[in-house]
Amino acid sequence: MRHSPLDSAHRGLDARMVPFGGWEMPLSYPAGTLSEHRACRDDAVVFDVSHLGTVRVEGPGALDRLQSSLTNDLRRIGPGRAQYTHLLDDDGSVLDDIIVWWVDDDAFDVMPNASNTERVVAAFEGDDDCRSADTTATRAVLAVQGPNARERLARIAPEAAAVGRFRVERCTWGAVECVVAGTGYTGGDGVEVAVPADAAGDLWAALLDVGVSPAGLGARDTLRLEAGLPLHGHELGPGITPLNAGLGWVVGWDKPSFRGRSALERQREAGVDPVLRGFRSEGRRPPREGFEVVAGGATVGRLTSGNFSPTLGCGIALGFTPPTVAPGDPVELVGPNGSLDAVCVETPFT
Amino acid sequence: MNVPEQLFYTDQHEWVRDEDGRFRVGITDYAQDALGDIVFVALPEVGAELHQGASFGEVESTKSVSEIYAPVQGVVVEVNAELETAPELVNSDPYGAGWLLVLQPIDLRATETMLDAEAYRALTEG
Repeated sequence: MRHSPLDSAHRGLDARMVPFGGWEMPLSYPAGTLSEHRACRDDAVVFDVSHLGTVRVEGPGALDRLQSSLTNDLRRIGPGRAQYTHLLDDDGSVLDDIIVWWVDDDAFDVMPNASNTERVVAAFEGDDDCRSADTTATRAVLAVQGPNARERLARIAPEAAAVGRFRVERCTWGAVECVVAGTGYTGGDGVEVAVPADAAGDLWAALLDVGVSPAGLGARDTLRLEAGLPLHGHELGPGITPLNAGLGWVVGWDKPSFRGRSALERQREAGVDPVLRGFRSEGRRPPREGFEVVAGGATVGRLTSGNFSPTLGCGIALGFTPPTVAPGDPVELVGPNGSLDAVCVETPFT
Repeated sequence: MNVPEQLFYTDQHEWVRDEDGRFRVGITDYAQDALGDIVFVALPEVGAELHQGASFGEVESTKSVSEIYAPVQGVVVEVNAELETAPELVNSDPYGAGWLLVLQPIDLRATETMLDAEAYRALTEG
């Protein structure tokens, strides 16, 4: 089990630690998931997301390598910007969803999910023009999120707090060099700070001192679900393409080739089925992953994520159904202990 | 963990308070802490017959669904309606406002075979 540079800080706060993607990370702090969720919607929280991998890909051939490996088209952005993208299998399945930070002209930080870091390293195996290195262990990544995140962060690191949405900048915090991006996974505003591992504890403590409260994986999951954001292993994975998941915008169709492209072309011609849909259920009882989606008396799909929405006060879920199930349609979400009345809705939920 | 002396306990982490022959039932501090933030509690109707050790409802948190088991055989005479809108009471006050239901037990001496506070504490610390 791997541990974050902030491991002792989490234990000092009496966090509940859980295994996640080969790492032991905080599920929640004593305030609890609901309180952490609300703090992110109303104020400012910090997540330790050091379990996300960082693969530094650099050299004169780095851009071409990324263009031919990943779905999105980096020519839509440029140095100093971040982009969400996918790594596909030959059949179009999403092997991983990734954020690319374009740090310098010839240098990219590719950030896969924790459990997928090795396959992403393998995809960028180096040659003379394109070197790649797993730099995950050298840094911590702190996601500072919420409507007051920038204001609070500005008190200790004004440069970092000013990094715009989907921008990437090298910033200094005191004498410490960080890479900062205007990215996150909550559906709200905020930045993510990659800080050298040996300075991470000090930055974490400084954030708590200016009133940013810690939040764990439990709140990270309810926040991303409200925002309708996919989680690999649930809405993305084997047998699911970006088109199934409603993420056609991550596909750079103007690029001549990238891994999985021909499979996506065939799917686009044949018609995309199933598709990812959002559901909102009546009452507080949470729909759960694995529940069947029943429409017109027939089982048409299955939920991939579901929980209680602290913001809406009712259940919300994501799941795959035929495209004929559309926003506005009533459905039942059927689990082992009964069924919930629900309606198909647009996402984000909030 | 808080384990009040005057209550009786099961190895499924429920507590029972004998209130003049009626048994008030809830889940323990240990159980609520392990479950995390509770967002929904499914309870039986008043009048339902519960069988010892059988599931009578579910407690759902942001991370899991857990069955709750009848500590003794009996008939439900009262359920905590507050939990419909405020299930977080189970977290904040598991032995007080977060109670689940009141049973009329078949056997008034059923608590004799349950765990006392010391035995329950030993179970959760083991």
